[in-house]
Amino acid sequence: MSLIRHLPAFAILLICSAASVALAQSSSLVRSDRAASTSSVPAEVLVVLAKEEPGEIDAQLKKMTALRRPPFNAFRSMKILSQPKLTLTPGKDALVSLPNGRRVKLTLLRVMPDGRYKVKAAINRPDKSDYLPLLQVVASAGDPFFVAGQTYQGGTLIVGVIVDPKKTAQ
Amino acid sequence: MESVKTEDEKLQMFFDGELAPEEEAAVRRSLEGSPEGMVQLREWKQLREAMKNASKDWAGEIDSDALFARIESEISAPVAPIEQPALRVVPGSRERRVWGGVATGFAAAAAIFLAVMAWPAEPTIDSVSVARGSEVLEVDFGPNTGTIFEVEGGAGESLAVVWIDDEEVGLP
Repeated sequence: MSLIRHLPAFAILLICSAASVALAQSSSLVRSDRAASTSSVPAEVLVVLAKEEPGEIDAQLKKMTALRRPPFNAFRSMKILSQPKLTLTPGKDALVSLPNGRRVKLTLLRVMPDGRYKVKAAINRPDKSDYLPLLQVVASAGDPFFVAGQTYQGGTLIVGVIVDPKKTAQ
Repeated sequence: MESVKTEDEKLQMFFDGELAPEEEAAVRRSLEGSPEGMVQLREWKQLREAMKNASKDWAGEIDSDALFARIESEISAPVAPIEQPALRVVPGSRERRVWGGVATGFAAAAAIFLAVMAWPAEPTIDSVSVARGSEVLEVDFGPNTGTIFEVEGGAGESLAVVWIDDEEVGLP
């Protein structure tokens, strides 16, 4: 009798508790959804052969003012060797082959609270650590970071990595 | 030293029967020796008789045995139960426990709700000023030497450049 009389109160209590738990879970789901939605991010790797000899500079590279500033301003010619597009997925390595036999390994670690992408990179010959064992950077969408210095065919390789959700992976 | 009693005190004690026999006999002889004394003695005797009769009559009207018997019977009589008004037993403690539990539950639910609502969510991309550029967090040059540069981009953003010197490697 008494229990039946208090059933509505218990029901309200259960509903409130369930609503609170559901709200908490939905809040965490929103956060995890955001992480999931950024789980795969398109990226582009720009492989440029730069030489100090006077020559042509690819039109696409002329728009990149950073390549006209130190330490790149010593180069008089720049040629895009490859421009592969790929998709970065957290926890999965994305590989890009370089013309010198090394490979660029890129891994998306996480999306920072400020929206930048934390990326791990390595450039080595297969199964070796002969060049760049580890590099961790944070980069905003569309802003590149560069790894330069490898000598190749009398010139220097400049590897630019751009993480940009607007770009489409190929 | 024996105190000297006045004539009135002796008379008072004589009529109360408190004088010694010799003094009582002396007072009686003195009263009987004069007409005023005889009158006074007769009046005191009449008054004394009247008081005795009145006391006897008053004491006779009271039936002390019956009075004490009635008191004893009332004392020893069984106490009649007092009729209580019809009351409903309310389980107040259990009511309080139940409603206390409900109130505690509501308080807990409200606390969870408020904690969830007040929990600082991770700042969204739109809610913070979007950082631009790129920067190096960690680098391992391995067996080579290297330099980290910051190059200004077209929009003034700082772009990270990692420069590593190495020997040219050929295709395997």
